[in-house]
Amino acid sequence: MQRSPTPGSATSMREANRARIVDAVKRYGGLTQVELAAATGVSTATVSTIVRELLAAGVVETHSTSRSGRRATRVTMARQLGLVAGVQVGPRALRVALSDLALDVVADQFLPLPPDHRVDTTLDRAALLVMDLLDQVGADVEELLALGLALPAPVEAATAELTVRGAMRGWEDAELAPVLSRRISRPVHGDKDANLGAIAEHDLGAARGLRDVVYVRIGHTTSAGLLIGGHVHRGRAGTAGEIGHVQVDPAGPVCRCGNRGCLDTVVSAPALLGMLRASHGDLTVHDLLSHAADGDPGCRRILADAGRAVGQAVGDLVTALGPESVVVGGELAAAGGVLLDPLREAVTARAVPTVRGAVPVVPGELGDRADILGALALARRKTQIELA
Amino acid sequence: MIRSQPVLSARAVHKSFGPVQALDGVDLDVHAHEVVALVGDNAAGKSTLAKVVAGVLTPDAGTVTVDGNPVPPGSPASARALGVATVFQDLALAENLDVVQNLFLGQEISGKGGLGLDEAAMENRAREILESLTSRIPSVRTPLSALSAGQRQTVAIARTQLGSPKVVVLDEPTASLSVAQTAEVLTHIQSLRDLGHGVILISHSLSDVLAVADRVEVLRHGRNNGSFAAGEASHEAVVAAITGATRLPRRATPSSRP
Repeated sequence: MQRSPTPGSATSMREANRARIVDAVKRYGGLTQVELAAATGVSTATVSTIVRELLAAGVVETHSTSRSGRRATRVTMARQLGLVAGVQVGPRALRVALSDLALDVVADQFLPLPPDHRVDTTLDRAALLVMDLLDQVGADVEELLALGLALPAPVEAATAELTVRGAMRGWEDAELAPVLSRRISRPVHGDKDANLGAIAEHDLGAARGLRDVVYVRIGHTTSAGLLIGGHVHRGRAGTAGEIGHVQVDPAGPVCRCGNRGCLDTVVSAPALLGMLRASHGDLTVHDLLSHAADGDPGCRRILADAGRAVGQAVGDLVTALGPESVVVGGELAAAGGVLLDPLREAVTARAVPTVRGAVPVVPGELGDRADILGALALARRKTQIELA
Repeated sequence: MIRSQPVLSARAVHKSFGPVQALDGVDLDVHAHEVVALVGDNAAGKSTLAKVVAGVLTPDAGTVTVDGNPVPPGSPASARALGVATVFQDLALAENLDVVQNLFLGQEISGKGGLGLDEAAMENRAREILESLTSRIPSVRTPLSALSAGQRQTVAIARTQLGSPKVVVLDEPTASLSVAQTAEVLTHIQSLRDLGHGVILISHSLSDVLAVADRVEVLRHGRNNGSFAAGEASHEAVVAAITGATRLPRRATPSSRP
């Protein structure tokens, strides 16, 4: 795409068609040539020619398959080196993705989950979804090198066992990585979602090239991933960066962790939506964000106050760690300036002032894909260590 | 921002099939932008209620109103015109037709001057609808026979969008689907809610119901037996209401919301 040929020429047409075909293969994971023609509007003869070129260039792979009893050629992206999988378990959703070792996602799936979903059912569904995605891209389970598991709470590095009680009801006391690993018979490595989001923003997003970074994840709860010297600082029992459990009100309500007046009792999806219930009825996080974007004053106020409360906790963390940048991600970060501006002001007001000016507070570049990309990045990192 | 009047309201609906009383004074409210799940054992009256709401069955007593207008009994076409679109369990799709043809079956867009069909317009509209539901069907010209069970459900849900309905009724949309296909259908249900529709979701799978519903209404032997805000409902409490371990007193009003 660097040199743009004359518009309308045969070369530009072929390049445009080639790009459309590659896009379609990426979007659907794998398609037969006939489906490719239908999805792109390019004639079957041209699809066939372009697929042959892409095959020779090592961009795609073809597999024989059958569709409604007829033989067909299925086209998928090339992945000579194998695939990695990412699974993100959230309080209300499961996200699963497959990527190549360049972290180019080849297939993904999103499954809404009930509140307090059970560990056995959810891990089982995660395993089934991974198998289904492998099938979708025409890959065997042997091609899967490793799986990264993102969890919404601090975990032990080796086993992905949760280390803070109350974060996920019924998920404690289970060695989540070995359990999932047995189900898919591949190596599984787990970590807290904020740590993985930090890795992803460092490898691919807003924290590229930086060494010391605080990644703040504001979603169902609030947490931070700390990068020191480019490496995740996990701390004892993986609890480094758990700013959701910084005390903001000594006389506040008791938190799920057992302490009093934690940030999570003020800024968490249930707390924020609870404050809107009397005036707005039952909302979801998605409703809160879309109402705020439409200018609803109550929803904007709730988000602004949440940003300020998180900013105060992050300000102290900035003083303690002295990071080069604060990157803000998580579901609520999608609110944009309404949340981010008060957060930035609070960080600036609270952190130690320096002659170099205030620490930059920036939105993440990967949006809600940060954690799952981080899970894929974790799987890739662990795989490279094993190959070396 | 106080929640408005319900878009669909069923009051004291009775329906008997000979000696069998399928519905015995059932009430149901659905608001815009809300997913209401209807759960219950086999023969609790879920599908019967769906058919009454869709205008397929005539209730023996009781009323169904959409935005205050009564749905004329026994007239699916008028229910549709009032804004109730229904996907029944059998989906009612034609295997030999492609996605566009299935969507527009019986409501084709005719070409200029009433000659032939405006294929381009139908194709574009089909793409738009599938996009708004975040569907992953590669081509709108794929014949139904080449689609998976989950994709067929997607087509059936997409078809409800043609009349810009107020309420979409889905009868067991995730029955006999794989996890990946269930994931897709649940995502569509969330999209329907985001588009501002009221959704009635009938399902046996409590985990699917609790994943996407705003409110869960339990039916037992043709009567209301509990109403739960899905965010707070425990699996156990809903199961207790379904099996009759907990009972509602007769004629309690369900879902009295502000």
